Amino acid sequence: MYGWTGNILRINLTNRTYNKESFDEKFALKWVGGRGFALKILWDELKRGVDPLGPENKFIVAVGPIAGIPAPNTGKTVVAAKSPLTGGYGDGNLGTRVTEQMRKAGYDVIIIEGQANKPTYLYIEDDKVEFLPAHEIWGKGTYETQEWLYGKYGKGAGILSIGQGGENLNLYAMVRSLEGRAGGRPGMGAVMGSKKLKAIVVKGSKPIPVADPEGMKVLGRDDLRKVQQIDKETGWSLQGTTGVLAWCNEVAALPVRNMRKTHHPDAWKIDGERLNAARVATYGCPNCTMRCGITILDHEGRKSELDYENIGLLGSNLEIFELDQVASLNYLCDDYGLDTISAGGTLAFYADAIDHGAIEGDFRFGDAEKAKELLRLAALREGKLGNMLADGSMRMSRRIGHGSEAYAMHVKGMEISAYNCKFIPGMALAYGTSPIGAHHKESWVITFEIKQTARDSYGPEKAAKVIELQRIRGGLFEFIVACRFPWIELGWDVKNYALYFNKVTGLNWSVEDFWKVADRIYSLMKFFWVREFPAWNRKMDYPPMVWFDPDNADKEGPIAGRVLELDKYDRLLDYYYEQRRWDSRGIPTQKTAEELGLIEEAAEVKKYTQLE
Amino acid sequence: MIKITVKLIGPFVYKLGFSEKELTLPEGTTVDGLCAAINLDPTRPRVITRNGRAVAPAEKLEDGDRIVISPLYSGG
Repeated sequence: MYGWTGNILRINLTNRTYNKESFDEKFALKWVGGRGFALKILWDELKRGVDPLGPENKFIVAVGPIAGIPAPNTGKTVVAAKSPLTGGYGDGNLGTRVTEQMRKAGYDVIIIEGQANKPTYLYIEDDKVEFLPAHEIWGKGTYETQEWLYGKYGKGAGILSIGQGGENLNLYAMVRSLEGRAGGRPGMGAVMGSKKLKAIVVKGSKPIPVADPEGMKVLGRDDLRKVQQIDKETGWSLQGTTGVLAWCNEVAALPVRNMRKTHHPDAWKIDGERLNAARVATYGCPNCTMRCGITILDHEGRKSELDYENIGLLGSNLEIFELDQVASLNYLCDDYGLDTISAGGTLAFYADAIDHGAIEGDFRFGDAEKAKELLRLAALREGKLGNMLADGSMRMSRRIGHGSEAYAMHVKGMEISAYNCKFIPGMALAYGTSPIGAHHKESWVITFEIKQTARDSYGPEKAAKVIELQRIRGGLFEFIVACRFPWIELGWDVKNYALYFNKVTGLNWSVEDFWKVADRIYSLMKFFWVREFPAWNRKMDYPPMVWFDPDNADKEGPIAGRVLELDKYDRLLDYYYEQRRWDSRGIPTQKTAEELGLIEEAAEVKKYTQLE
Repeated sequence: MIKITVKLIGPFVYKLGFSEKELTLPEGTTVDGLCAAINLDPTRPRVITRNGRAVAPAEKLEDGDRIVISPLYSGG
């Protein structure tokens, strides 16, 4: 079997034991890697209802067949677990040297079980695993933690770590690596923290099994150069992802004031032009030639790497329009190991709730210094307020009450990223049906909606577009494990990934083979949710109710007076379910499960609910 | 003559050398005509909006329009 090492490293923190297990080609071909492997393992090994922050939950690190192979842009790794933020399936990917080092160490998957009895970090080198005391770095931020580990193991080591947020079980704590890379929005850092696992260090020295090593070497090298050339010609990385901020402001899609507003006259102060002009460094992931990590100095003079989501949620959504202050909030999130999207969303919800008299407090939109203090409280779970903020906007709104649940901007418990869909039906559907809670990474259809279809259409073409992109973004790139940016931002043909896959595995797959795997994974992710929430209904796939509230409509601008319409959204959801061949509750049918090879999984889910 | 405002997004700012400016154009100028007037490479994929809403290449501009020209962003 080429392309996969065929090995899983299982580590138990309770017993301080580890062993190497193998998987066969059937498993590899059915789930491919990354999200596919992680999901299937969590489905098989977790009992329904386990505490996400208890020793029974498992933390998975998984790569895919092209991960770590020099080619565009293969430096990504998936981290996954049952999510403490949502209670459903959770994962995320991040650029890290772990990708290559893990494969060289001889593993496609690392499963971490149990719970250490004291702060621990793991050092994995080929066949050896060491359980090491982490008391010197416990309580430290991710920057200091990483430097301490670099000092011991060198900068070439693969490192995943958490900050104080993960240690203190902040529910949107992430896993961090390199100079600004983070992954695992649905609380994957909190899962590490619950296991008292501060960091994982990986080094490997074995060859990665490739069917055609010389052919892959030439193809990968040439394609990395081509991607670099396209980036140079188009100028994409001059502003990277942040170029979209000014556009969102123009088309009324920017998150402003807890998404109450969709544009703001001061947005230009924090846009991609200002960011590029302030740039002091640029970072990228391994095997990347279109580096997107634009780094500037923050208000305190520290280096802070920003992208669009960071600025949208910690800037405009909090009505903070000083770029260096936004950079400071971003730095703090990175150092504490918090998701910038959920952190910004939760703080904005808090300010909005104060505005609406649902809770008393002294935080106002635009107050950067107070926001810094609140991030510290949230990361450290300090006091009643810190504990509320650390639980995210859904739980906070339930505690506050007074109707605030309607403007807690989340889906399934995870905060909405930086696209305000007050009047963008297809993107609202993408958020609603994202399988880990609201996230733009699964599907993004705004340009399609604004350019190629009527913005106010709720037709089947929008459901089809959401699914098409979910297959590529949430499917292919998450199970083959590579960054989607060359494809999505530079137009690098998705068929290239079939070429890489075939060179590495010796197989002869087409992209259509990928889509079947993607559909299988999406249906099993839904089964995962349904097993945890047997009373599942379509309302779980709704965006926040405030987007349907006419009183929340913009008073001026391109979408003045317009909001989403619930009956039409329901129809759009029906189109989506029909095209996925799920039932009207949003659950895969028995026939769909059979066609996707999920017969055993369907039998398991039928213990909890009927399948049509 | 009509006066319009053109706003460029992302890499177009560096390609064309400005971020936003007012232009005076003959009445009847179309969106395509505007793109030619500012030397926008016709082969570059783009989305163009007028006052926040998509506009077709053959549509005529009107006095006071705000035209935004952006590459096809894809949501990161």
